[in-house]
Amino acid sequence: MYIYIDGKKISANDGETILAVANRNNIYIPTLCHHEALDDVGACRVCMVEITHKDWGGWTNLVTACLYPVEEGLVISTSSDAVRRSRGTTLDLLMARCPTSDVIRWMAEENGEISVRYEQVDDGSKCIMCSLCVRACEKMGCNAIGTVGRGHDKKIAPPFFENPENCIGCGACAAICPTGHIEMKDTRTTREIWEKKFDFVACEVCGEPVMTEEYRDYAIANRDLPADYYTTCSACKKKKLASHFDKVGS
Amino acid sequence: MGIANLKKLEARRSALHKAHENVKTQVRVCSGTGCAALGAFEVYDALVEESKKAGLPVQVELAPCGKDKDPIFVSLTGCQGFCQIGPLVHILPEDILYTGVKVSSVKDIVGKTLADGQVIDKLLYKNPEDKKRLKGRADIPFYKGQELVALEGCGSVAADSLDSYIASGGFSSLAKALKMDPDQVIAEVEKSGLRGRGGGGFPTGRKWRSCVNATGDERFVICNGDEGDPGAFMDCCIMEGDPYRVIEGMIICAHAVGSSTGFIYVRHEYPRAVERLSLAVKTCEENGLLGTKILGSDLNFDISVARGGGAFVCGESTALMRSIEGSVGEPRAKYVRSVQRGFRDKPTVLNNVETFACVPSIINEGSDWFASRGTEKSSGTKAFCLVGKVVNTGLIEVPMGTKLRDVVFGIGGGIIDGRPFKAVQTGGPSGGCLGENYLDLPVDFDALAEAGSMMGSGGMIVMDDRTCMVDVAKYFLNFLMEESCGKCVPCREGVYQLHALLDKLSRGEGEPQDLEKIQRLGKEIQVSSLCGLGKSAPNPVLSTLKNFREEYEAHVNDKRCPAGVCRDITTFTIDPDKCTGCLVCKKACPPDAISGEKKQVHVIDQDKCTQCGACRLVCKFDAVVTS
Amino acid sequence: MNVAPAVDMDRVGAVLDRFEKGERSHLVHALQDLQSEIHYLPKEAIKAAAKYLDVPLHSAFSVATFYKAFSLVPRGETIIKVCLGTSCHIRGASVVVEDLRIGLGVGPGETTQDMKYTVEVVNCVGACALAPVVIANTRYIADVKPGTIVKIIEEG
Ligand SMILES: Cc1cc2nc3c(=O)[nH]c(=O)nc-3n(C[C@H](O)[C@H](O)[C@H](O)COP(=O)(O)O)c2cc1C
Ligand code: SF4
Ligand code: SF4
Ligand code: SF4
Ligand code: SF4
Ligand code: FES
Ligand code: FES
Ligand code: FES
Repeated sequence: MYIYIDGKKISANDGETILAVANRNNIYIPTLCHHEALDDVGACRVCMVEITHKDWGGWTNLVTACLYPVEEGLVISTSSDAVRRSRGTTLDLLMARCPTSDVIRWMAEENGEISVRYEQVDDGSKCIMCSLCVRACEKMGCNAIGTVGRGHDKKIAPPFFENPENCIGCGACAAICPTGHIEMKDTRTTREIWEKKFDFVACEVCGEPVMTEEYRDYAIANRDLPADYYTTCSACKKKKLASHFDKVGS
Repeated sequence: MGIANLKKLEARRSALHKAHENVKTQVRVCSGTGCAALGAFEVYDALVEESKKAGLPVQVELAPCGKDKDPIFVSLTGCQGFCQIGPLVHILPEDILYTGVKVSSVKDIVGKTLADGQVIDKLLYKNPEDKKRLKGRADIPFYKGQELVALEGCGSVAADSLDSYIASGGFSSLAKALKMDPDQVIAEVEKSGLRGRGGGGFPTGRKWRSCVNATGDERFVICNGDEGDPGAFMDCCIMEGDPYRVIEGMIICAHAVGSSTGFIYVRHEYPRAVERLSLAVKTCEENGLLGTKILGSDLNFDISVARGGGAFVCGESTALMRSIEGSVGEPRAKYVRSVQRGFRDKPTVLNNVETFACVPSIINEGSDWFASRGTEKSSGTKAFCLVGKVVNTGLIEVPMGTKLRDVVFGIGGGIIDGRPFKAVQTGGPSGGCLGENYLDLPVDFDALAEAGSMMGSGGMIVMDDRTCMVDVAKYFLNFLMEESCGKCVPCREGVYQLHALLDKLSRGEGEPQDLEKIQRLGKEIQVSSLCGLGKSAPNPVLSTLKNFREEYEAHVNDKRCPAGVCRDITTFTIDPDKCTGCLVCKKACPPDAISGEKKQVHVIDQDKCTQCGACRLVCKFDAVVTS
Repeated sequence: MNVAPAVDMDRVGAVLDRFEKGERSHLVHALQDLQSEIHYLPKEAIKAAAKYLDVPLHSAFSVATFYKAFSLVPRGETIIKVCLGTSCHIRGASVVVEDLRIGLGVGPGETTQDMKYTVEVVNCVGACALAPVVIANTRYIADVKPGTIVKIIEEG
């Protein structure tokens, strides 16, 4: 099927979302709660686009690109006035909520006029409740953190706000967090996240951290990976591989 | 005892009819939430006991083979409508409505009315206009102009009795539907023009048809009894007062769309509705009206009753389904509709309690009968919960298209204490406030939407000049802020900011550009939010801003609350000319800010006064003034 | 501070036994029954329910904190629910809250030191025609007039 994004005719497949098609064609649509590896939820609302269709009699609608499934002949605008206003409001609201987040400020500046200032809710939190961390942790199979409460007070936390039993210190949540809200303190031998402390497994070659001991144990129990995955850091693994090829080559 | 097939159903009905014909007097004690709160159950117990003591032939169940001669059938019904003057006891066939009945009145009722046929004047309704006592429902203005369809059995059938429901014609509609093709059933519902009573007004027949057309190996039927609107109780009354009708409507739907599993999702604040529905489901199962081969047909259908957990957003269809699945009630985007992929990702019909309650009448009386009521695009009748500052409050049902004026001033009897009418709020937290210039508006889905409000589920809250529109808007925003699921940004952050802006106005700190800001933010929240809660959250503020702009401006420009509600910009004083020194306000004042001896003019100590408004509320002489 | 009494795990187990093991859709229902039994949801009870119904603990905690019906802290003997639904609001329900705050010394969501009363606010209990309405445990108090509620409740 064909769809039109910002005037360009583009081929698309049944079941794809607008965002997937745009990404494939290097058309930029901002996102804050989307990740290829995770199911979309439509929470951040910055991927808003305006859609219409020649059969809709001039009717248009604002939808989230990350969730809306394409259909034949769909006409999409990624930066119409309505889109910019909606996205702008969303970002203004996020700026009021997380005034210290650079990512949000950059995105807002890029969208254009920072029009309205709202009362700042500066509780030092940079969390925008995108829930990427929760979904990433669920994907890891750990289920260590979740949402707590509802409405404006909703938070991300481990159950009972206690140091999470299930956390293996993989760091996936911190890595995926778009605003850097999740604190992870690493030293050469230890990691601290969600107020839980971990010891690193040291690389047998260079001594650099490979992963936390808990992560190693978890991976051994649940994944089928080569033995050196747990003992050697990725840099050394690469080197080893390279020298292996060198040998084969000579 | 089972009702294995249509013949047995009819046999049971005719036996019950006979029993009914034998009954000489029916005593219907209202046990709706309102009357129960005022002691209806105690009244019922006392009535039964006292009658037995007096040797009267009381029956508490419809006994098809009763031995008594001229029995008196005493039953507990659902809400009879006029909750305000409950507990109500309605005696038939004479149509005597006793109001405000207490246990202490029971002896008289038994001795005089039941045993002797006398009417007890002082228990009758007193018309506030001419102080005349009116005997029965037929005489009382509150009941005039009403037409009961969804509420037909509510207040008349014995709420927890299958037999009483069957005697009143119950399940004859199901019997008829089962003889029809599913497609014919849907066609009837389509032709009736029935639109969903839960708020959106989506055509019910079309919804059922799309569900049938969707692909799936399993289909679900869900009844939405979440009734989240904080000022409405129609669905509560139907579930408590006529649970079998809801079940019958659902079974007909199951037959039409080919479902074998149903759920009724009930708000946990309605414990009696949960109890009555659960009992009704169990009784139906025991009698072969739920389960396999219903009434001897090929239809298999089960219903489970699920309790909500106290979250308004769970009235939203996708959130409700997640809640039944045992998760947090976060809505999902509806780009794929739930008739196609709903509960457990299967095609699902979700309808409101009142919608299902209309279905049996449509099948029984025919689609034309239903469509002949109401307006062209909004057929039938609609139940409303008429409350607020109106003289007569309670549960009503009127044909669609009835004018607001006829509801507020006819059925409702006007405003309390003869104060000026200011607005009527419909649609609850998703709706709006309509002022005096809308009083002649015919109430239907489209007219209300055009006027900037919404039908919603049927809350109708009347407001007088002492209700502040900024406060009302702030009230709803506060409600929505607490009820937002918190998933998406425009609703979670936007409603919070809207509330903050209104709070600023109510503190007298509003700036001229704030009204513009409210308007813009409101519009963006409407188009950007994920679910219906966020999309409609700005309605109360946008509609009041449109219809009562001068009141907003008074808050911003003059730092004044014309209604005397917003505490920070209101001062309460006592008018010495009007104060009679009755002590009433002094007793009511929570922080003891009022001083004054009996029969002396009272004075408010401004340092202690917290502007709560209690004194003004209780003063009978209008002596408390605000500025 | 209010000290939580030890949780009787036998009672928790007995409640859970009423549900099908491993059936996640019963979570809300089970938590509700647990709360009716012990008046609040202690951590142990949530953990036990999660385990029994095979729900990950983080989801169970999300559910327990999402729904307003659940309380994670112990509550008083008498739970006073003040309706702040629309009709109650415009008929002066905020005065009732004020009366309780002054009379009992606690606001919404708080419990008196002696664990006798907890004040909560709810949105519409289906008796709007009698607004403002207060429910003390299961007793409905209708048309509450300013300055009267504390006495009505204390007198039982
Ligand atoms: C926030 C929100 C709350 C809702 N609450 C209710 C409710 O309490 N009861 C109800 O029947 N419908 C409610 N609805 C509407 C339902 O989503 C749904 O449209 C309705 O139950 C469908 O039934 P109907 O077509 O018979 O009206 C709500 C919608 C939203 C967005
Ligand atoms: S670090 Fe812990 S919480 Fe974060 S994703 Fe890994 S297991 Fe989950
Ligand atoms: S912590 Fe980060 S990833 Fe998690 S919800 Fe907040 S912003 Fe998103
Ligand atoms: S609009 Fe509000 S209630 Fe709906 S999903 Fe967004 S945050 Fe939740
Ligand atoms: S407004 Fe309230 S606090 Fe002030 S005098 Fe009246 S009753 Fe007392
Ligand atoms: S990326 Fe689409 S809503 Fe967040
Ligand atoms: S509850 Fe009795 S009339 Fe409404
Ligand atoms: S608003 Fe209080 S009972 Fe309905």
